[in-house]
Amino acid sequence: MKVDTGHGLMTATTISPPFGMTSFADGKPDERALVIAAQRGSSESFAALVRLHQRRAYAVCRAIVLTHEDAEDAVQEGFLHAFKALDRFLPDQPFGAWLYRIMANASLDLVRRRKVRDADELPETIPMPFRDPGESDELRRRLNMALTKLTDRQRSVIVLHDVEGFTHGEIGEMLGIPEGTARSDLHHARAALRRILKDVRSDL
Amino acid sequence: MSDFRLLSHDDDEVARGLRSLYAAPAGDAYWNELESRIMARVADVELGWWTELDRWVRPALAAAAVLLLATGLAMFRAHQMEADIAVDNMLSSPSVPISTAIRPSLDNDRDARIRFLFGCSTQEPTCSAQSKQR
Repeated sequence: MKVDTGHGLMTATTISPPFGMTSFADGKPDERALVIAAQRGSSESFAALVRLHQRRAYAVCRAIVLTHEDAEDAVQEGFLHAFKALDRFLPDQPFGAWLYRIMANASLDLVRRRKVRDADELPETIPMPFRDPGESDELRRRLNMALTKLTDRQRSVIVLHDVEGFTHGEIGEMLGIPEGTARSDLHHARAALRRILKDVRSDL
Repeated sequence: MSDFRLLSHDDDEVARGLRSLYAAPAGDAYWNELESRIMARVADVELGWWTELDRWVRPALAAAAVLLLATGLAMFRAHQMEADIAVDNMLSSPSVPISTAIRPSLDNDRDARIRFLFGCSTQEPTCSAQSKQR
């Protein structure tokens, strides 16, 4: 799993347990026990699960929706769906995989709703994600421009894979596509980004 | 990070650029606040359930108790009335012989024969007819 520890940004991957992991290091709560307690009605246990998974859940949603605000909405919706469906979850299954699938579905629903609503006013560029004042605006502008050339799915796949470290299989499961399609989307997305960024360089 | 970092044709560089672009908000304050918002919405769902249930439990219990009481009372009264009627019937003088009251008509020849053999009231039409034949 690719984890960026070099650029100083705190990513979800460095904090949350890996995808599907159900046991924790010493001193941390056992996820399965938390799930069972939450299923029995313990709000504190569900809050602990939220605490454990919200960063990674945000990352999944952020890869699919266009803005930070939409990602926040999708995360909240996703956790709400998860809470309502918790009694149907089998504790022996990996909770993370189940939860992130719900998050991906909540995000895809949000994207679909936004598309219907904004059908008449399509944005020219992908809106800026969460701002870090230390980063170059120019870099963001160019990368954003490159990302607009990708399809929604290609963008989601490359972000989920290269930023969050999900495997092709996990991405396929989350987005409801075959693993091979996820692999091919990633390949095409990378090729497109390389091509576009090369064009940008030649323009400089 | 340099502007030209992404222009190296290297997938790792692209990934690094994407990571900076899609970085999750840093700082525990943000995540604590998001967790609070999530749990507030969850609590709404929970409260919705229990409040709704709680709102209906007491009236439902009261209604069930009243219904049970009314049913019990009605059954008791019906039983008492049946008993009263039975007693009244027993105490009142019968306008027809008890045998008729018990068995108002003889439906077939077999019964008629039995009654003939064991003796029967002359007021009974069947018996009268049989007596005449005799």
